[in-house]
Amino acid sequence: MKSRTRIFFVLLALMTAANGWTQDDAGASDDSEALKLAALEALIAAPPERALPLATKVLAGNHSKEVKARALFVLSQIDDPAAQQQLIRTAEQNGGELQAEAIRMVGIGGNEAALARLAGLYRSGDEATRRAVLEAYMIAGDVDGVFEIARNTESEADFEHAVNMLAAMGAHDELRQLRATAGLSSSLINAYGISGDVDSLLELVRDGSNPEQQAQAIQALAIAGTGKGEDVTSILRDAYRNSDTQVVRDAALQGLIIVGDDETMLQLYRTSDSAAEKRQLMQALAATGSDRILEIIDEALAEQ
Amino acid sequence: MNDDQLILYYYDDGLSRADRRRIAAAIEADEQLAERYAALCRELDSLSASDNECVAPAHVVQRMHDTIDRAGRPVPVADVPPPHRFSLPAFAWGAAVTAALAIGIGIGIFVTRAPTVPLEDAPVMAATQDRGAFTRGVQVFFQDAHADLVSMPVADASDRSRLITNIIEQNRLFERAAAQNDAQDLARVLRAFEPILQRLAADDITPAEAEALRSQLAFELNVMLTKISRGSSNETHTT
Repeated sequence: MKSRTRIFFVLLALMTAANGWTQDDAGASDDSEALKLAALEALIAAPPERALPLATKVLAGNHSKEVKARALFVLSQIDDPAAQQQLIRTAEQNGGELQAEAIRMVGIGGNEAALARLAGLYRSGDEATRRAVLEAYMIAGDVDGVFEIARNTESEADFEHAVNMLAAMGAHDELRQLRATAGLSSSLINAYGISGDVDSLLELVRDGSNPEQQAQAIQALAIAGTGKGEDVTSILRDAYRNSDTQVVRDAALQGLIIVGDDETMLQLYRTSDSAAEKRQLMQALAATGSDRILEIIDEALAEQ
Repeated sequence: MNDDQLILYYYDDGLSRADRRRIAAAIEADEQLAERYAALCRELDSLSASDNECVAPAHVVQRMHDTIDRAGRPVPVADVPPPHRFSLPAFAWGAAVTAALAIGIGIGIFVTRAPTVPLEDAPVMAATQDRGAFTRGVQVFFQDAHADLVSMPVADASDRSRLITNIIEQNRLFERAAAQNDAQDLARVLRAFEPILQRLAADDITPAEAEALRSQLAFELNVMLTKISRGSSNETHTT
C-alpha cells in the first residue's frame, strides 16, 4: 500500500511536470524531451528499487545525451550501491560521451570504492578526463585522492591544478608535504595564500634567499592576512624598508595597497628622500582611494 | 529584499560593503523590514547556540572584500611607470586574478576553507541542533535559486554574472552549513553545483552554453528539492 501510494505520487508528479515545467526550464528541445526530463525529475520520488532500473534503462536507451546525463544525476541520488556501480561503469567507458558527467556523479555519490577507481581513470585519461577526476575528488572532499595525484604526476600543469585544488580544500598538511617532496614552487606559494597557511607564508616572507618567491609570498600574505595577532602592516612595512631588492619592495608596496594602509604609505612617503620612490608611493596611495593623497599633493606642490 | 540577503547580512558574509550599507539603510528606513529582520535574527540566534562553530574569520572576509573592491576599481593608465617598475594596471590585474583565486578555484573558498584562527574562535554559521530548520533553509535556497535561474536573462552576460555570483555565495554558505551539520551527501551536491555555477557566471560563454548549464542546474535543483522534501516528509511521518 505504501509503495502504491508512492507510485501514485510519482505519477502525479509526472503529470505536474509535464503540464507545468515544460515552459519553465528551457533547454529541452521539444515537448517529448521536456517530458522525459520531467519524468526523470520525478523519478527521485520513487523508491530506490523502482527508480534504479528505470534510470539504468534510460542510460541504455536511445535518448539524447542531455536526458542520459540527467539520468546519471538521478542515479547519484539513489541510495543503493548498485547505482554507484552503474555510475563507475559509465565513467570507465573510455571516450564515452557521458564519461565526464559520470565521473562528476561518482564524486557526488561519494562512494569510496568508486572514488578509488577514478585514480586509474586519471592515469590513463586525456586532459578532460583528468580534470573531471580532480573535480570529482574535490566534490567528494577526497583530499587523499588529490594529494596522490599531485605527488605522483610528472606534468607541471597537472601538478599546479592539483595543488590549486588542495588549496581550495584547505589541505595545509598535504601542501607542506608537497613542498618537502617536490620543492617550493610558484603554485605552492599561491596555494599557501589561497588556503590561508599563514605559517608557511610568514616563513617565506622572512626568507630573503629567493627574492622572487619572497615577493610572491608577501603578496599572498597581504591577501590572506595573518590572523594571529601579528600585524601584517608592520610585516609589509619592514619588508619594504629592509629589502634591497626592488621586486620585494614592489611586492611589499602592493601588499600595502591590498591591505589599504594609507597611514603606512604616508609615513614611507614622508621619510623617503628619493623622488622616484616618492612618486611610486604617491601612485600607490592614489590606488587605495585614500583622501590622504591630498595631503601629499599639497606638500608636493608646496615644495615646488 | 528577500530572506537570503537578510541571512547573509546577519552572518556578515557574502555581501559587499555597499550591499551591507544598502541593507542596513533599508532596515532602518522600513519598519516592516526591520520587524522581519528582527524575527530572522531571533531564529538564527537560536540556531547559533551550538559550540561547533566554524567560519571565516572576520578579518579575512573583510580583507577579501577590500581586495575585490580595490581590484575592481578603475586604474588610471596615463601615468603607468615603465616596465619592471611598480605597475598599477599590472597590479590590479594580478590582484583581480588573486582575488578570483581567493574566491574559489573550482570550489575554492578561501574564506570558507582557510580559517587563520583556531576554528573554535571563529564565529558564525553554526551547526544546528534543529535539523528541521537547516533542511527548511536548504529547501528555501533551492527554491529561490531555481526561480532565479528560470527568470535569469541568459543572453545578458553581466546580469547573468551578477545573479549567479549571488547564488554562488549562498551555495557556499549552505555547503559549509551542510558539512557542519553532518549532511555530507548534501554538501557534495552543493560542491558539485559550484563549478557549474562558475561556468555559468563566466562572460565568455555563448547563450547556448549558458542555456545548457541553466537547464542542468534547474534540473538538479528540482531533483534535490524533491529528494529533500521526501526525506523531511518521511522524518515527519516517523516521529
